[in-house]
Amino acid sequence: MRTERDSFAILDRALGAAGTEADASFISVDQNISRFANSNVHQNMSEVSAGLTLRVIVDGSMGVASTTSFDDDEIRRTADLAREAAKHSSPLQNFTGLNRENAPLPAVVTFDEGTASITPAEKAHELRAMFDGGREHDVQFAGAYLTSRASVACANTHGIRRYAPLTYADSTVIALHARGSGHASRCARRANEVDIASLGKEATMKATVRLDNIEDIDPGAFDVILEPPALAEVFEWMTMIAFTGQAFEDGSSFLVDRLGQRIAGENFTVADDALDSSFLPFPFDLEGFAKRRVPLIENGVARTPMVDKAYADRLRLTPTGGTWHLGGADHGTSFHISIDGGDATREEMIASTKLGIWVTRFNYVNGLLEPKSALMTGTTRDGTFLIRDGEIAARLPNLRWTQSMVEAFSNIESLTRERRRVSTWYNMFGGTIAPLMKIRGWHFTGKSV
Amino acid sequence: MDRSQAADALKLLGSARYADIRYTATHQQHVKVRNGEVDHLSSTVDRAIGVRVLVGNGWGFAASTDTSEASMRDTALRALEVAAASNIASTQQIVLSDVEPYTAAWASQYQIDPWSIPIEKKIEHLMNATEPMRSDARIHQASGEISCYRQEKTFASTLGSFIEQTTTEMGGGIEAVAIEGNEFQRRTYPNPFGGDFQAEGWEFIERLDLAHKGLQVRDEALALLAAPKAPAGRFDLIVGSAQLALQVHESCGHPTELDRAMGLEISLAGGSFLQPDMLGKFRYGSDLVTIVADATVPGALGSFAFDDDGVPAQRFPLIDRGMFVDYLTGRDTAPALGRRSNGTVRAESAARIPIIRMTNINLEPGTTPLADIIAGTKRGVFVETNKSWSIDDVRLNFQFGCEIAYEIVDGKLGRLMKNPLYTGITPEFWRSCDAVADRSSWQIWGLPNCGKGDPMQTMRVAHGAPAARFRNVEMG
Repeated sequence: MRTERDSFAILDRALGAAGTEADASFISVDQNISRFANSNVHQNMSEVSAGLTLRVIVDGSMGVASTTSFDDDEIRRTADLAREAAKHSSPLQNFTGLNRENAPLPAVVTFDEGTASITPAEKAHELRAMFDGGREHDVQFAGAYLTSRASVACANTHGIRRYAPLTYADSTVIALHARGSGHASRCARRANEVDIASLGKEATMKATVRLDNIEDIDPGAFDVILEPPALAEVFEWMTMIAFTGQAFEDGSSFLVDRLGQRIAGENFTVADDALDSSFLPFPFDLEGFAKRRVPLIENGVARTPMVDKAYADRLRLTPTGGTWHLGGADHGTSFHISIDGGDATREEMIASTKLGIWVTRFNYVNGLLEPKSALMTGTTRDGTFLIRDGEIAARLPNLRWTQSMVEAFSNIESLTRERRRVSTWYNMFGGTIAPLMKIRGWHFTGKSV
Repeated sequence: MDRSQAADALKLLGSARYADIRYTATHQQHVKVRNGEVDHLSSTVDRAIGVRVLVGNGWGFAASTDTSEASMRDTALRALEVAAASNIASTQQIVLSDVEPYTAAWASQYQIDPWSIPIEKKIEHLMNATEPMRSDARIHQASGEISCYRQEKTFASTLGSFIEQTTTEMGGGIEAVAIEGNEFQRRTYPNPFGGDFQAEGWEFIERLDLAHKGLQVRDEALALLAAPKAPAGRFDLIVGSAQLALQVHESCGHPTELDRAMGLEISLAGGSFLQPDMLGKFRYGSDLVTIVADATVPGALGSFAFDDDGVPAQRFPLIDRGMFVDYLTGRDTAPALGRRSNGTVRAESAARIPIIRMTNINLEPGTTPLADIIAGTKRGVFVETNKSWSIDDVRLNFQFGCEIAYEIVDGKLGRLMKNPLYTGITPEFWRSCDAVADRSSWQIWGLPNCGKGDPMQTMRVAHGAPAARFRNVEMG
């Protein structure tokens, strides 16, 4: 990771080379990822990377170029490429220029020295202890343990200058027993909140519970209790197909023509929230907008898509601060999906279920079936259980489901107070924070043999 | 990175059983037009070095975007530190299959350099293709994309190999989005998600003939708005070449990756129902189904001269007349089968660990013309062009959605139908294949976005496929 001074020195050279209205981002990441399988570390990587993206405005048109080399010649070449791109682009509709809102940044803690200095060897010792502990339960572990430190900086020719150091820790643990598997995961700004030993125990519990009774069910509609990792999979797709500026502008989002209207149950609220200290806080986006909580669907009412400055102007909406890649095709997206909880407990949800299915996690969700109803499909994995008469009655095979999310979020029976953070595979800034959600009539359509 | 720089870095790794160093420079340009405007135009250059080292039974890998000589040395030393850490939590013995040292230089072939074509010409080409599509108010979006890709890669290993490879690729396609009321339909040519991709130059974009496809794409998108929904139930299904290519990718390519079968990718991408004790014994498909891995196909995205283990590119069957006969392997996985690597280990760039990746995984053509297969189908559905894809964590239970479907009644293509979905269990599906079309419908499709690994690596692969018929497939 680079210091604030180093980062702004590179950004200032890039903005100077632009010779026109411009903004730029400079992100530097040092990360270590230890991957394990069969209770053995099989891949272990350390990466030091840095990237500069420069976006220029020429006669109202935008051009973008990026590089991983930062000498003067390369920065000049990058600026030339960006200007060349702008010259051939079309003027942005209604565009009033790059961000000029130099609002104070929210005071959030993004960096932890202990996480920044953790070594691969320290992590290996934690993993080895977990591997050894799995033997008494006849389980082996697979997964990954990531720690990173990064610097994130952006600036523009209107005087916006933002910098934040960032740490991140994330681990996924799968426990594999001969007759079942279980999953547990944690992510945090601080590595000491990612307790590998407890993840191993949680995954082992999921892998070994109800091995005495493995049942099968026929497809059909069931009440379902979704754990946060399952919801996070769904909301990664919700973000792409419904909440981006691009999806709203091109008409594919189910929010189109429905802002201000009720589209889900009153007990459903989802927001972009990078300020919640219990989540994965971050103070600004890469256009330099100070982050704020942005309700996307509030008490069932559609509020706004995420929009960058260009699409906020184009669609005459307020910029939401959701730019994580300058020049990105999404034109605004949520990297901090926050789903409000309710007042139930996990135990109450299970006890109140006559016949239902408890899902730990989904696999390979796809949200492109029919985006106007957010019809999605996917399968369950690493812990799917039948609930009968208020008790966990049996372990189930992995099941396929095909379900409209617009319908599902109108049928939420209860939400837990407890919420958990879930990481995404595509960014270090945020993820999803979600409660457990109980939904009536979820459509299971098949099963793995 | 020249040979002496590589040698200097590798010298620091004297305690290693094996080490290699890679350098990549990846150049990309992307142009997208949408509704008469240039919607996106960007250029990127990513440079990286990566050092991989095996010490004892621990792998260490370190990478940097700083490609200076000083950084190469630092990166090599970090790789050693990481390997030492791996040994703390290493519980298994690592055996590498043999490979000879090679000195080689290779480049994919093209006639017209993608970067020699001015941006204006690329924009004009896309405008000519997409503007005629906007002649109906229900077309909410008419767009087109052209992508250029070039990766220069140098590989050196402690075995004495020094290999330089350059791959040049182009991709392009167009799309129409039609909206009427709450109905939303997307139709693309020749494929969604940026079109089709080949390891060729501008001549490939010219061959796509986008300008003469726009009206057909528009008309099909509009027709889908009013089309009936594809039926639910069991039908004889004819899958077109582009969709069958993705079916091969998901239900054959991924499950024949040996690292998946060994559980090495299980936490993220999943495992495989194809286990090593099934090799040579398991009937994966009908006798008509032969699927080969072929990294030697000229002009395809999964082609190269050497993989990132320094193993030469190869062609070999995975499924031979229906029987499961081989996996995609690398040097540190093949010994588990008592075999040598068949050369399928690649990384997205030098900044990532090389892992087993598909090359060109091709369903071999049959002998029956597609028209005869349709004529021989009493009641069925023809589907083409992927819209959605999902498969379980061992690659058994799949569901695919397609952009378009046609009813087949008494051997003839009938009504257009929208939103077709089909689902099945992989070996049951391939065993139900009773007709594979001949080479006239066979085409190799480039997929530049195959995701695997952690951190996620996007790999460029390809699949050749003809159309084929599958009996009694569940739809809806």
